[in-house]
Formats: sequence, C-alpha cells, structure tokens
Amino acid sequence: MTTIAFRRFAFSLSMFLSCFLFFAGSGVAQQPELYTKWTNYTSADGFPPGQVFCVTVDGPRVWAGTRHGLVLIENGKVKRIFTPRDGLAGQAVMSVAVDHQTGDVWVGTFGGLSRYSGGVFKNYTNLTSGLANDLVYGVAVQGKFLWVATAAGVNRLDTNTGDWKIYNEFNAPFNEPWAYGISVGKKNIYFAVWGGGVLMYNLAHHYWKPFMDPDGEMEIVLYRNQGLIHNIVSAVSWNSSTHSFWASTYFGLSSYDGRNWHNYLTKDSGLISNFVNSVSSRGNQVWACTQKGLSELDTKTNTWVTYRPNAKTGKGTIVITPPDGKQRTLSTATSLANNYIYAVAFGGKDIWVATAQGLSHGTLESGATR
Amino acid sequence: MKDWRRLRPVNRAVNWLVGAILLGIVVATALYLENPCTQVEAAQGPGSYEWLYLPRSRYLSPVALAMSHDGRHLYVACEDSGQVLVVDTQTDKVVDRIPIGGIPKAITLSPTGATFYVSDEEDDSVVEVDAKTFRILRTIHTGWGPAGLTTNLQGTVLYVANTLGNDVSVIDLKTGRELKRLSAGRFPEYVKLSRDGSRVYVANLLARLGAYDKPPVSELTVIDTAEEIVTARVSIPGVIQLRHIAELPASAGGYLLIPFMRPKNLNPLVQIAQGWYMTHGMAVIAPPADPAAGPSSYKVREVLLDNIDHYYADNFGVADDSAEHLALVTASGANVVSIIDTSALDRLLATASPARLRELPDRLDSARKFVVRRLKTGRNPTDVVVSPDGRYAYVADRMDDTISVIDMPALRVSATISLGGPKMVSRERRGEQLFFDARFSHEGQMACASCHPHEGLSDGLAWSLETPQLGRDIVINRTLYGIDGTSPFKWNGMNPNLETQDGPRTAHYIFRSQGFSERELNALVTYLRSLRLPRNPHLAKDGQLTAIQAAGKAIFFRTRTNSGEVIPLRDRCYYCHSPYTHYTSRVLEDIGTATPYDTVHSFDVPQLEGVSLKPPYLHNGEAPELEDIWTKFNPKDRHGITSDMNKVQLNELIEYLKTL
Repeated sequence: MTTIAFRRFAFSLSMFLSCFLFFAGSGVAQQPELYTKWTNYTSADGFPPGQVFCVTVDGPRVWAGTRHGLVLIENGKVKRIFTPRDGLAGQAVMSVAVDHQTGDVWVGTFGGLSRYSGGVFKNYTNLTSGLANDLVYGVAVQGKFLWVATAAGVNRLDTNTGDWKIYNEFNAPFNEPWAYGISVGKKNIYFAVWGGGVLMYNLAHHYWKPFMDPDGEMEIVLYRNQGLIHNIVSAVSWNSSTHSFWASTYFGLSSYDGRNWHNYLTKDSGLISNFVNSVSSRGNQVWACTQKGLSELDTKTNTWVTYRPNAKTGKGTIVITPPDGKQRTLSTATSLANNYIYAVAFGGKDIWVATAQGLSHGTLESGATR
Repeated sequence: MKDWRRLRPVNRAVNWLVGAILLGIVVATALYLENPCTQVEAAQGPGSYEWLYLPRSRYLSPVALAMSHDGRHLYVACEDSGQVLVVDTQTDKVVDRIPIGGIPKAITLSPTGATFYVSDEEDDSVVEVDAKTFRILRTIHTGWGPAGLTTNLQGTVLYVANTLGNDVSVIDLKTGRELKRLSAGRFPEYVKLSRDGSRVYVANLLARLGAYDKPPVSELTVIDTAEEIVTARVSIPGVIQLRHIAELPASAGGYLLIPFMRPKNLNPLVQIAQGWYMTHGMAVIAPPADPAAGPSSYKVREVLLDNIDHYYADNFGVADDSAEHLALVTASGANVVSIIDTSALDRLLATASPARLRELPDRLDSARKFVVRRLKTGRNPTDVVVSPDGRYAYVADRMDDTISVIDMPALRVSATISLGGPKMVSRERRGEQLFFDARFSHEGQMACASCHPHEGLSDGLAWSLETPQLGRDIVINRTLYGIDGTSPFKWNGMNPNLETQDGPRTAHYIFRSQGFSERELNALVTYLRSLRLPRNPHLAKDGQLTAIQAAGKAIFFRTRTNSGEVIPLRDRCYYCHSPYTHYTSRVLEDIGTATPYDTVHSFDVPQLEGVSLKPPYLHNGEAPELEDIWTKFNPKDRHGITSDMNKVQLNELIEYLKTL
C-alpha cells in the first residue's frame, strides 16, 4: 500500500511539475526578446556619411546600400565601399538582393541596376537594357527571375534568357507606376506601389490583384480594419509563417491574412510613428521602420517594443507597450545610430538596421527580456 | 504471239533513251569528278580529287578528345558526323562509333572513368555514355549551345559551358537535372576542373562588350565548386578567343595556360604587311590558393607563341605533360603543335622585371626561350591530350579526320591514325579546309577563322580595314552564319559577291599575300554559302511567338505611329529589313550613324537573322546592346521612326528581333 501511495504521490508531483514548467515556460516565451546591445557603423568607422537606405545579410557578409555607395561588411569590419568608380551603376543604393543560388548580388541604385558577380559589376540601365527606369527602388530574386521595382513600373528579368518584361499601367493594374518594394512569397509576389497600394502577382496563373485603400486618398481611416490603410505604400513584407503580408504606408501599418485586414496607428497601438518607411516581418515579429524610431510588434503577445536613441546621451530607450497599454521604459547603454529608420534585415537572431546616420547592428543579450 | 516488227520502233526509242541516260551519266560524272588538284597540292596532297558535292555529315571533323584512365582508349568527338569514335591506342584502330547526333563539341570522363559525357551543341544536351559498353545511358538537358564540360572531383555534379546562353549549367548527375545556371562571360566554350577540384575555370571565346574603340578584354570565369557560385571574373586584357585550359602542377608554377589571339584591331589593317598585327599566344595565370578569392588575386601574364618572322595562328588546344614539364599548344591555323618547356616559361616569368612583364604580351622574341619544338600535324589541329603514362600525345586534326600521335620522349609525330573519313574531298570541304588555313596570309598571321571563330561567328571586334589613317573607317566584324543571299558585302557595300569579297580584295587588303587561286576561291565561297545560323533559342521550337514577341512583331510591321500618323514607307522597319530577303534590303542606307571618322555615310543594311548573336551593333559596333541602337543612336528618327515608342514597345520590338 505504501508503495502504491508513494507511486501516486510521485505521479501527481511529476504532473504538477510538468504543468508548472509548461506554463512557466510559456510565460517566458510570451515575452519579446529585447535588443539591448547595439554596434553602430558610422563615418567614424570608415562608413560613408549620411543615409543608409537598405541592408541585406548574406551569411557573414552584410551589404548596406547608402547614399554614397554600396558597403560590404565582412565579419564585422567594413571591407569595401563600392561607388560608380568601381563600376556600380549609381551612387545612391536603394536595394540589395543576393541570389543564393548563384551568389550574384543585385543592386538597385538611382543610376540603374547592377549585378555584382565574381568581383565585377555589370550594369543595366534604361538606355542599354530592358530596364523600365533608372530609379531602382527594389530588387528581389525569385528562382531564375529577378524582379525590379522602378519609378516606371516593375521589371522581370529572366536571368537565363536575358529576356525583359515590363509591368506598368498599360498591362497591369498600376494606379501609379512608382514601385517601391518587392516581397516574394511562395505563390505570389507583392509590390509596394507609391500611391498604388499593394499589387499582388500570382506566379501560377500570371494574374494581378490590387489591394487599395477603400476610402481612396483620404488620410484618415473611416472604419478600422476596413482595408489597406493608405495607397502610399512604402514597402511590403510577406510572412511565410503566418501567411499574411504587411504593408507600410506613410499613414500607418496594415496587414492582410487573406481574409482580414488589421491596421495599426500610433493612436491605438504602440507604433511610434505613422510615417513608416518600411516593414519586415518574420515569425511572430513585425518590424516597422519609422521616422521616429524602430517599432516591433510581437503578434503572439500583441506587445509593441520601440527602440529609440537619445541624441544627447547616446543611450537607448526601449518602450514596451503590452496589450493593456501600460507602457514601461527601459534604458540601454548603447542604441541605434539614428531614430530615422529606413530598413532592417535579420542575420540569425541579430538585427541590422539602416538609419539616416549609419548602420546599426543589434544583438540580444542573454536574459534581456522584459 | 507478239508482232516484233511493231514493237521494234518502241525498242529503238527505249534504246535511244537508255543511250541518252548513259551519256548523261558520263557527262555528269565528268562534271562531278574534276581534274586532279594542282593548286593546293601542298595543302591537299598530290593526286587528290575534289568532288563537287558530298554531304558534310560524311566527314568526321574530330574536335575534342578524352582518354580512358588506363590509356587504352581514346574517345574522339566528331562534330560533323555527330559521333564519338573509340580508338584503341594499342592498335591505333577505330573500334566503335557511337552515334550522338547533333554537333558533339566536347567530351569529359567521369572521375571513375566508368562513363563519359559528350556535349551536343545543336540539341542543347549532354549525352552520357558507358565507357565499357559504349552504350548511351541517358540524355541530359542543358542551356543553349553546350560545349565544354567537366564533372567535379566526386563525379556528382557536371558543369557545362553554354556558348549561346553565355552561362554554365550546373547539373546534378544523380537526378540528371539542372540545378542552376551561372552567368559566364561571352560565348563560354571550354572549361577545366582545377587539380584540387576546388574550382572550375571557364574560358570565354569572345571579349566582354565594351567601347568599340578600346582594346578588348576577355574573361576567365571562376566557379567555386564548394559553393557552386562564381567567385572571380578574371580580366585578360588585349586578347580574344580564350580556348582550352591546362593547369600545370605546382612544381611547374601551378599556372593556368589558356591559348588566345592578341589582335591590333584598332590599327589600320594595312600594317599587317609589317607583321605584329595578329599575334597568337597564351595567358599564363597564377591562381590564388583560396578558391573564394576575387579576381584581383589572380596574377595574369600573357606570352606570345609566335616568332618574329612567322606566326602560329589560332591557338586552340592545350595539354601538359607534368612529368616532363612540357606543355603542348595546337596552332589550328598553322597545323602545328608548339611544345613548351614549362620550367623555362616559369623561369622567364619569375625572373622578368615588372617592366619586362608588361612588355611580354607584345614581344615576339620570347617564344624561343620556352618553345622547344614545333611539330607538324594534320590540318586544323584542335584538341590535344597526353596519355596517362606520358608516352604519347594525341592531336585531333579536324580537317583531315585524323589523329596525329606524338611520341613524347622523342618529341616527334610518330603516327597518324585515320579515323575513317571519306577519301574524297568535296568542294565545300576544301573550302572549309582553306577557311581554317593561315598559310595564305602574310607570315601566316591569320586565317579566315581567326576573325570568324566557331566556324563563322564574328569575333565582335571593330577593325580598321582599309583606310591607312589611324582611327578612320572602323567597322565591326560580321558573322558569316546565313551570309548566302545577303549581298552586297562589306559595310560600304563595295563587294557585290563573295568571290570579290574573299578574292583579290582579301589577298591585297587583309592577307597581304597572293591569296587564293580561283579554284580555291570557288571552294571557299561554296563553304561560306553553306554556313547556317544555329537554331535560335529565343524562338520556341514550334515557331510560336510569345505574347511579347507577337506584340513586337506588330511593331516591326506597323504602318502608323502611336498617335495614328502614317509612317512613310522608307521609315518602316520592314522596308529596309525585308523578311523576303533575309531582313535586309541589300542596299546602302544613311541612318545618321556615321561618325566624323567615317569617310562614307551610307552603310550596307545588315540582315537581322540571328541578330541576337551579333552584338555589338551598328557599322562600327558602337551599340553594345540592341537597345542602344534606338535609345542612343537614333535621335532624329533616321533609323526608322521609333521616337514615339514607349519603353514597353521597345522591349517588345527587341524581344521579337531576337527571334529572327
């Protein structure tokens, strides 16, 4: 009997412990991880001065597109700065995409499109190729195709055949031809169009579908979550985990999961600014790059975290906004290079942030949770 | 019973008819079989005959070689017969003929030697063959116009250079599927796996597209086999036509040897009489240890294999005999193999001062320091391989259908293996032989094939052909593919036919020699007329146009501008580029592209067939891409009315032109 009682007790204890650990673990997982350690690349580190418009991580290499050329960082060091003197198509670099199949790096500049391969640039411009316009805002690789967002529509280059295709207001539902960003999904490709909302291109059936602001050009939202928050879309990001896309606009942030829209404004969320330069989403994270700081939404906990630097002290501020709206603030010794954020990229758990005054590299510190 | 008297008239008629037929046969035979050759006996051999016609497929044209690991068999890819021949190296006999079909261009063994792979340039495929049974195992799809190929060290991946696609297919040999295509330079033709297996080197036949009035820059593309990405695009300045690649062992410097041609194309061609105009040599490249290193880590040197007073045109194949520190380079236009002492070459490069190294690419007095022997081969030697034991080297004599066997210890040609091609030489074949033969030019500097590699392609260079002043009348070379029926010739249209183009004019202005005899000229022209464009990969096999191509076709044949105005007949695309005459009007037109350095302003309208193969464009090659023709060089709509077109329409037009 004693043995049986002991066994029952042991079983109950193990069940209790299991449940405790499960819920305790869940509780820990619900807290977003915080980036409390920042390393900045500025002109003091040999980095070009001024804006960093984009950043792309390719294993140990980080490519940063700046106002003054393309920067290659390798193993944490600025290895090379490419400018038109090195063969780059333009000085201002707006986008970088790495073709992981071929190793080629595609660079969108304000002087055309460049391919960096084997240490040599090859350029494509409006005059010398099928490129629709030399103002190239976005590039993305989809298998053998390269998609290019330009100020005069979207291009598709078949890298095997060299054939170019242009999509613009003549052959696709472009309300405006000014394409800013591209995000490649498994079945669709999404384009952020300045003044034209989000355009979706279906890869299997080759049709276009526009997503526009239901209230047109109005800069207020009549009904919450009625649709895309505004037609001036600066970027779009497909999240393969949640099967939804996120669209950043100059008037707030939107997401669409195929059935429902969700819109986010400063007045009803932890978003730091409605002027959102770009958005990147992975897993349960959504990163909004705004003119006032970097805001992250953890969709699992519906918690917002905003990173901002203190221009005077150089220290950082992290503002955490849980669903109940009770904000808390943390201070960090290091911070982002600037609060005007253009773009982010992920390298494993690390985050790279393109700002108006340099590039920032954020790392998690162990135990650095809320 | 038949009345034989009534039948008799009929029999007479039949007899007359039979007699007439017999007489016709005799006359036809007499015409068919011409007199014994006298003019080209030196080249053809005494007592040989020239036949009016024999299908090209009857000839073999060995162009690529590979040896079995035990040295027992020599595999010979024959581009004209579409076969791979298996030669028993002990008996020097052909023991098997494997029908590949199409145009076999290159051949490589798997690392185990159990199979070999043959590229079929015509069919965009690679054929895998069992090296024991010589049975075809499978056909693998590649990119456009596959030529050189190699496996990785493990034999799991095949790399294929696609000449028309300007890329390299990376193929998983387990599944036979193409994993990816890596962009190469222009017209990548031959590849080589490095000794340590870390890299695949790709030699590009044509130079990069650049400014027409600057010396060419060619590219060696380097693929890192671990990552399967391009890690370096090594510039080789001043040269074109990179061919086969050999890698010397570390003990001999570890250099890559790549035959090339080094032209002085921007100097007036009249200077060929002074020599040193068309030179031929090889790049000697020291690769870095790290396969991921960029192009600046590759040390590029260039040396010439010519002598001061005689040239060894159109270097093609290269092989090394590691044990003896020798390398062999075939001069396909001179019918010679140059034997190189690689130790002497290494010493020369190691001891030369920087100033001397800069001079080397243009020095005609350096070959004597490292070329130890010149061996006569059959006509048009292409590929060369050395047997595993280093005892023999084998040279593919493309225009003789033979293999020259070199006794390496003795450094002499010890035997010639007949591959069984026809004894008869057709007029077309004779012309082809002449096409590759540099002995008709001053000091053997060039053959027709020197400027028209790959059997008629354009070298893509601008040349100063006739005006003796520097920088005047520079014109781009044009392809010979599909040239029949497109007279007149030359950009100024001065030559009404090919006989004029390639007869005295060529002799006086280009070859600076006696040139071809009338008989030889007829043969050469017959060959040139036989050259056909390769299958156009931009056009679907069923000939159907895509939507974009169809839209471009409508623009090509449009009669009104976008605003509805009627386009004058002369300003329509199809007026000058008529589809009924190979998309050329065959007259001269002034489209406003003449420069102050041109002495004429009207130029021959080029045929558009195969236009995608022909960059750069316009008479002087000023337009590297098709787009340039209209975006930069048609500001006043003199080259057809195009200024009303938007970018989408221009793209459509270009996509259509690429299908022609």
